[in-house]
Amino acid sequence: MDIATATMLLVGAIFALLVTGLPLAFVTGLVALGYTFGWFGPMALPLVTSRVYGFITEYSLVAVPMFVLMASLLDRSGIAKDLFNAMRLMAGRLPGGVAIQTIVVAFFLAAMSGIIGGEIVLLGILALPQMLRLGYDKHIAIGVVCAGGSLGTMMPPSIVLIIYGLIANQSIADLFTAAITPAIVLMASYILYVLIRCLRNPALGPVMPEEERRASFQSKGELIKAVGVPAMIAGLVLGSIYGGVASVTEAAAMGSFGVLVAVMLRGEFSITLMQRALSQTMNTCGMIIWIGIGAAALVGVYNLMGGNRFVSSMILGLDIPPLAIIMVMMAILLLLGLFLDWIGIAMLTLPIFVPIIIQLGYDPVWFGVLFAVNMQVSFLSPPFGPAAFYLKGVAPEGISLKDIFVSLLPFIAIQLCVLALLLLWPQLSLWLV
Amino acid sequence: MAEHDVASPGLPEASDDHDPDLGTRTPLDRWVGKGTRAAAWIVLLAMGISVFEVVMRYGLDSPTSWVHETVIFLVATSFALGGPAALANNRHIRVRVLYDMVGERFRQWLDRFNDIMTLVFCVAMSYAAWVMFWRASHSPLGAWQLERSGTSWNPPFPAMTKGVILFALAVMTLQALWHLYQTFFPRSDSHSDVRIDEEKR
Amino acid sequence: AEYEWTFQTSETAGEPQFEVKKAWADNIKTMSDGRIAIEILPVNAVVQANQTLDAVSSGILQGHLTDPSYFSGQNPAFGMLGNLVGAWGDPLEYLEYMQHGGGEELYNELVEPYGVHLIGAGATGLESFVSKRPIRTVDDLKGLKVRAPEGMVYNIFQKAGAAPVNLPGSEVYTGLEKGVIDAADYTVFATNDDQGLHSFAKYPSYPGFHSLPMVAVSMNKDIWDGLPADLKAIMETATDSMAYDMVFTLKARDLKAVSAARANPDVEVIDMAPEERAKFRRIAQQEWKVWAEKNELTGKVYESVVSFLTERNLM
Ligand code: NA
Ligand code: NA
Repeated sequence: MDIATATMLLVGAIFALLVTGLPLAFVTGLVALGYTFGWFGPMALPLVTSRVYGFITEYSLVAVPMFVLMASLLDRSGIAKDLFNAMRLMAGRLPGGVAIQTIVVAFFLAAMSGIIGGEIVLLGILALPQMLRLGYDKHIAIGVVCAGGSLGTMMPPSIVLIIYGLIANQSIADLFTAAITPAIVLMASYILYVLIRCLRNPALGPVMPEEERRASFQSKGELIKAVGVPAMIAGLVLGSIYGGVASVTEAAAMGSFGVLVAVMLRGEFSITLMQRALSQTMNTCGMIIWIGIGAAALVGVYNLMGGNRFVSSMILGLDIPPLAIIMVMMAILLLLGLFLDWIGIAMLTLPIFVPIIIQLGYDPVWFGVLFAVNMQVSFLSPPFGPAAFYLKGVAPEGISLKDIFVSLLPFIAIQLCVLALLLLWPQLSLWLV
Repeated sequence: MAEHDVASPGLPEASDDHDPDLGTRTPLDRWVGKGTRAAAWIVLLAMGISVFEVVMRYGLDSPTSWVHETVIFLVATSFALGGPAALANNRHIRVRVLYDMVGERFRQWLDRFNDIMTLVFCVAMSYAAWVMFWRASHSPLGAWQLERSGTSWNPPFPAMTKGVILFALAVMTLQALWHLYQTFFPRSDSHSDVRIDEEKR
Repeated sequence: AEYEWTFQTSETAGEPQFEVKKAWADNIKTMSDGRIAIEILPVNAVVQANQTLDAVSSGILQGHLTDPSYFSGQNPAFGMLGNLVGAWGDPLEYLEYMQHGGGEELYNELVEPYGVHLIGAGATGLESFVSKRPIRTVDDLKGLKVRAPEGMVYNIFQKAGAAPVNLPGSEVYTGLEKGVIDAADYTVFATNDDQGLHSFAKYPSYPGFHSLPMVAVSMNKDIWDGLPADLKAIMETATDSMAYDMVFTLKARDLKAVSAARANPDVEVIDMAPEERAKFRRIAQQEWKVWAEKNELTGKVYESVVSFLTERNLM
C-alpha cells in the first residue's frame, strides 16, 4: 500500500470509528495501534506507549490540572457566583453584557496561559453555567466560552507560537508581538458578533430586571468583594508571570493556591469541598489528556510511515502562483485540524511549510501568525475539535456535542474572516514587529 | 429540547457532586472510583510543591533540584490514572451522531462493538506498555535497574511513570473485560441494563 | 534502495544542525550509489528525544543522530562521553579524542549492550552561554539562576556557586525574558540570536566555557553487523566528514552573528579570560572525579580522558 492510500484509509478509519460512538480517546489510539502493527509489526507497538509517555510528561501540561483545580474551587465556593452576579449588575442595560465580559475575562486568561485545555475548562466550569443561569442563549454562551478560551494560544505567552518559533527557527519575540493585533481583532470580532446578535434579539442575553438590580448587592462593599477576589487572583497569576516570579506553568499553580487561600478566608473550606474539587480535576484531566494521547500516538506512527514526505510532495508538486500555494497550505492545515491535535499538525507540516514560505519570499513571522489563527479554527472545527471536547467534559447536563459544534459555527466563520484579512493584509500582524 | 432547559434556578451542580457511582457499570468501576478519589490528592501535592519552589527560588534565591521533576511525575501520574477513572464513570467523550439516530437493537450492537474495540485498545496498549516498562526497569543485560532522569537529583521517575502507565492500562483492560462480559451476559441485578446515557442523565 | 532507514535527530527542522545531518544522508546516498536511503526526521517526530536510544535498540528507528546526554539516566557514562563539561577547549580536541584517543571505542562499549552501534562522533562546537548578567569571572556565577538540564552541567554550576534551576527547554524563552532565570545552558550563539534571546539576555559568552555536546551518530547493531564492508566504510567516512562540516558550518554562522552582536550597542559579547576558564575547568574536574566513582564505565571514561589530556599537556 502506498502512503497516499494509507492516508485516505487512516482518515476513513478515524471517521468510521468516530460515528460508532467509541470514545475519542480510543478512536485515534486504535488507529495508531492498527497502523503500527500493520506497517511495522508487533515489535513496534511500544512506539505507541512511548508517545503516551512523552505526552503526559510534557511540562507545559502541568498547567492544565492547575487551571481545572482553580476553576473547580472557584465554582464550589461562592466566588464564581458572586463574580457573575456582579458582572451582570455592571452590564447594566446592555443586552449580552455578561457574554461580552466573559470574552474580556477570556482575553485576560489568555495572557496567563499558553495552552487552551485549562482555559476552556475553567470558563466551561465558571462562565457557562452562570450565563445559562442568567438566561443567556445556550449557543452564544457556548460559543463565547470555546472561542474565547482558545485565544490562549494567540496571546503571548503561547506554547503554539513558541513551538512554531523553535521549529521554524524564528524569533519568538517577533512572533509574540505579531500575534497581539490579530488576537485583539479576534476578540473584538467576537464581541461585535455577540453585541449585534443580542441587540437584535435582547432575549438572547437578557438584562437584569430592575427590581432584582435593587435587591442584589446590598452594599458597595459586597460588590467590590465579589469582583475584587477574582481580580486579585488574576493579578497574582499575571504578576507572577510578568514580574518574573514564576514560569508560566508555575504561575498556574500560584493561581490555584491563591484561590484555595481565598476559599479559606471566606470560611467556605472543608475537606469535602476539597475532595470534590480534586476529584473533578482528576476526572476532567483524564478526559482531556486521553483525547490527546491517541492523537499524539497517531502522529508518531504517521511520521515514521513517511507522512511528512507525502505532505511535502503534495505541495512541491504544485505549479501554481505563490498566494495559491499559501492557500493550499491553509487548506491542508484546516483539513488536518479536522482530526489532529495542533501539536501533531505543527510537527507534521511546519518542517515542510516554513522553508517553502521563505523560498517564496514571504515573512515566516507572518506565516507563524497565520498558523496560529489556523489552529484557532482547528480547536473549534468538528469532528475533532479539542475545544468542544474539553467543554463537553465539564458542561452542564443536557448540552450535547452537537449543541456545542452548532454553537461554534458562527465563531469559526469569524475566524476564517480574520484569517482571510491577515492573508490579504500582512501588515495587520507585522506593523508592530 | 427546549432552549433553556438547563438553566435551573440556583447554582447548577457540577457533575462530580452527584452520586460518585453514577455511570459505573461494575463493582470494579466503583473500586476504581474510590481509588481515584484518594489519588486525586496528588494534584494538591503538585500544586503545593510548585508554590514551594517559587518561594524558595524567588524569595530565598535557592531553587530546589527536585520540584520540577516531582511535579511532572505527580501530574503525569494523575493523567495516566485519569484514564481508568474516566472509563469507570463513563466520562470519555464520544460522538453520538449515529448512536442517537438508530433504534434500540442496532444500539445494542454498537454497544457490543464499542466494548470489544475498547478491550482491543486496552489489551494492545497494555502489551506495549509492558514492553516499555520492562525495558525501563532492566539494564540491557537483564538485571533489575530503573531508568532514571539523568539530572543532578536523578530520581527513577521515568521508570516509575512507565510503571504507572502500565498499571493504568492494566486496570482499564480489566474494566473493559468486565464491561464486555456484562454486555454479552446481562444480569437483571447488575448495572448493565440501566446503562447510563450521559446525554440524558 | 537496498536499505531504507529512518534516523531521528535531536533538532527541530529549522536548526542548522538539521541541515548538516540531512546533507550527511544525501552524501551517503551518493557514495553508496543509491543503495542506502536515510530519512532524517526532526526531534520528537517519532519518539521523544530521551527515548530514541530505546527506539533504535528495539528497531522502531534504525538510527539516531543525537546528544547522548539525554540518556544520562540510563547510564551516567552517556553524560560523561556526551558532554564532559570543561574538558575541551575546542571541538577539534574533542573529535581527536573520540576518533584517535579511544573515545569511540569506549562509547561502543557503552551502547553495544543496548543493541546500538556508534558509527562515529561529531560535535556542535562550544555552546554559547546566554545570560542577563555579565559573567566575566567564575565569581560572577555566585547566585546566578541558571537553567541546567540533564547531565553534569547542573552539578558543576552548583559547585561554582550558581543556583541551577531544572527547567525544561520550552520554558527557557519566557523564563529568561521575564527574569525567572538569569541565564541558560541552551544552544549555539547564532541560534540563540535567531530566536531573539539576546534582546533581553544581553550578556552572551562567546566562545562558551561550559558545554560542548557530542553528536552521536549511531544505528541498530543488528543492521550494522549485517552490512557489507563497503557500506560500513561509506557510513563511517560520511560520518567523519559530517563531524567537520558540523563544526565549521556552525562556527561560520556563529561568527557572523557574533560580529553583528558586537556592533549592537545593546549587547555585550563576553569572552571569558583564559585564567577564569581554567578556574572553571578545575571546578569541573572535581565533579568528573565524583562521576568517575559511579560505575565501572564512568571510571574508564575518566581515566581515558585524563590520560588523553595529560599526554597533550591540556590538564
Ligand atoms: Na497565552
Ligand atoms: Na478541529
